Amino acid sequence: MSSHSETGKFHYHEPGLQHQFEDMGQQEESVSIGMWMFLVQEIMFFGGLFTAYLVFRSKYPMAFAAGSNHLDAFWGGLNTLVLIVSSLTMALTVYYAQKSNRNMQVIMILLTMAFGATFLGVKTIEYRDKFNHGLVPVQGWNKRIKAETNAEHETKPCWEVDHNAPAIEHPNPRGEFQWTDCSLVKKAQDEGYLTNAEKIGYFSNGEIDANKFRDKVRIFYYLYFVMTGLHALHMIVGLALMTWLLIVAWRGSFSEDYYMPVEMSGLYWHFVDIVWIFLFPLLYLLGRHFMHGG
Amino acid sequence: MQDAITAEYSGPPKLNYLNNGFTLKSWLLTKDHKRIAIMYLITVSLFFMAGGLYASAIRLELLTPASDLLQTGTYNKVFTQHGILMIFFFLIPSIPAVLGNFILPIMIGAKDLALPRINLLSLYIYWVGGAFTVWALLQGGVDTGWTFYTPYSTTFSNTYVMAVGLGIFINGFSSILTGLNFIVTVHTMRAPGMTWFRLPLFVWAQYATSLVMILGTPVIAITVLLLAIERFARVGIFDPTIGGDPILFQHMFWFYSHPAVYIMILPGMGVISELISNFSRKKIFGYEFIAFSSIAIAVFGFLVWGHHMFVSGQSVYAGLVFSFLTMVVAVPSAIKMFNWTATMYKGSISYDTPMLYGIGFMGLFLIGGLTGLFLGAIGLTVHLTDTYFVVAHFHYVMVGGQVIAYLGGIHYWWPKMTGKMYSEFWGKISAMLVFVGFNLTFFPQFILGYMGMPRRYSYPPEFQVLNIFSTAGASVLGVGLILPLIYLTQSLISGKAAGDNPWMLPGLEWRTSSPPPTENFDVMPVVTWEAYEFGEESGLDLEGARANESVRTV
Repeated sequence: MSSHSETGKFHYHEPGLQHQFEDMGQQEESVSIGMWMFLVQEIMFFGGLFTAYLVFRSKYPMAFAAGSNHLDAFWGGLNTLVLIVSSLTMALTVYYAQKSNRNMQVIMILLTMAFGATFLGVKTIEYRDKFNHGLVPVQGWNKRIKAETNAEHETKPCWEVDHNAPAIEHPNPRGEFQWTDCSLVKKAQDEGYLTNAEKIGYFSNGEIDANKFRDKVRIFYYLYFVMTGLHALHMIVGLALMTWLLIVAWRGSFSEDYYMPVEMSGLYWHFVDIVWIFLFPLLYLLGRHFMHGG
Repeated sequence: MQDAITAEYSGPPKLNYLNNGFTLKSWLLTKDHKRIAIMYLITVSLFFMAGGLYASAIRLELLTPASDLLQTGTYNKVFTQHGILMIFFFLIPSIPAVLGNFILPIMIGAKDLALPRINLLSLYIYWVGGAFTVWALLQGGVDTGWTFYTPYSTTFSNTYVMAVGLGIFINGFSSILTGLNFIVTVHTMRAPGMTWFRLPLFVWAQYATSLVMILGTPVIAITVLLLAIERFARVGIFDPTIGGDPILFQHMFWFYSHPAVYIMILPGMGVISELISNFSRKKIFGYEFIAFSSIAIAVFGFLVWGHHMFVSGQSVYAGLVFSFLTMVVAVPSAIKMFNWTATMYKGSISYDTPMLYGIGFMGLFLIGGLTGLFLGAIGLTVHLTDTYFVVAHFHYVMVGGQVIAYLGGIHYWWPKMTGKMYSEFWGKISAMLVFVGFNLTFFPQFILGYMGMPRRYSYPPEFQVLNIFSTAGASVLGVGLILPLIYLTQSLISGKAAGDNPWMLPGLEWRTSSPPPTENFDVMPVVTWEAYEFGEESGLDLEGARANESVRTV
């Protein structure tokens, strides 16, 4: 393991070699182990969030299915595709760095950045949609809609919702979190698959309580925003890394002798992708069959 | 290859890490692990003093049952801030960031840590997190207890919970980066011949600690982040009124904070392995057992967090499993105790100041560890939870363990770090004062707790006598802790030169000059001896040097 030279003398002549190392092999091994350790701590960091998600998903599956159904699987799926392709271009960046091909490196970094930016753009569209529909879980952070005189939908019980009717703009003068559809609770009650926590959590005096159900959907959206928000923050850090890589690659500094920064940034980029690969099915796909049949 | 290790160096002062630059910039932008360690030492000491002031306030208030010095609200803040400063800003960085940073690369024969810039970054993160927290404390502080239990912390507390939480969040990354750096360094930076089983046991202990830091700290980071968001956004998963789960916070908090207890004792055990073996001048007994017991503690430490929650409504079966695993995690600690004792048996023990701390640790940690078993026993713990018994138990482990080991380590490596020898007379006095003062402070608390005195608020008048004992002990302990500050500082000015190997020991750190040069060794060392080798295999004539020393002093 130890790759100090056996001569007993210190020497450092190679370019890019830092003073504390004996040779490039030792430096590369150190940097690589360091990056993997960093990713281990990232896994534990997101692990806390995934644990919280699993706890509440198993407690309130209908609320999570209902919230999940309002996310747009098209945008989520598109973003998944975008990120997977960006992982390909990232891997090609490392490949061309190892081949000392400066021009292709630059092109691949630019493509990776473009895909990363596309992802964030789509995320913005999605967040904006949540803002417009009163789905941001923080009070006052939603679009404020003045109350209308004709509030016919409020007289109906919350589980009698026509999913094919055009979306109604609910009045939301204070920008609160809103959720009016508890048809899934009725369905689960009729077919007998409510969990124990749900039997307490959605009902008041034996009746479905729209407000209590809304609070559980709000927990889903809270986790949605924290998880995708922290992921997006990691994407922004990734884009900053890519900008730096672009400058160094533009100067032609990476070659078959020195490409560790590219490879390490690549590991980080792939890690952020993989987090999304778990976020997408958990947030967008699980429980869709409750509402869309099947 | 018999080096004359007592030979005096003559000529102009040798260039070392301290005298190769005196500007502020040469300190603040240094990549030298030794300078970073010194800056950690100063900051950590400041936090220790601040935490100590809060402790004094608590002990003064508890002299009488009435709340005459501090109002109840202030008292809540004082014990909270004592806990936060001592745990997050003193105990966790103390041995790893100060002693580990300084001595670990030298012990394995490296020029520096593997990632020196990351090391400097971790110091800056520690400073930022610390400054943020101190700012929040000055603004008005926090009163939730260091555990930040929800929903009090998220909904009801009217203090600076969010700011202090963010301070701890930031500070966590300092701990993560230090751990990451140590793991990489131990893997890739060992000198030729320094195999894994020739590593000093301090390095094994640091490695195990680093594993806990990397695996545990991110979880507390995300937990306090969720806490801060919840307080800020007024919505979240810990709020029971909307179906959230406050107990989930306790699970997530203790998932880190129990392993963090081992961040606060494993490095101390590493120091003690060094002290016991070296000051008994005997190869350590059961090297592999001590090495692997450190790893075992790090692994099992992740499986016992539920023993902090025996009375918070977790299921009986979970309680049984956690209780059993708590008994299991005591085994590796016991293995260490037995091996240290066996090492001392028929050793040539010298009672220098570091060894006094080493022996003190063994007595105090024994009590701290065994009372931990009381608290892990699922029936007894119902009676003892949230009493002073718990307070006494974890102070025996953290102060009696980590702080004593830290002080022992500071005295042990002080001549290497500074090149100066402190007053052995005052060193011994202070070690005795700390030992006596500590026991007088905390032993009465076991009795108080068993009799039912609760933590965190006042007590009925019949408990006053033992509380007076405790406060008196705290005064003695305080004197014992202030003394080193004085005589260690004084040694910098007028202490006599320590020489490269004042204790006549075989470890790599004693084979370079004191203070070491910037790159630690003038010539890359090649290791041909086992750890704690006092015979001729060490390549040094240690017995001869020791004989000369005694001739000279007679």
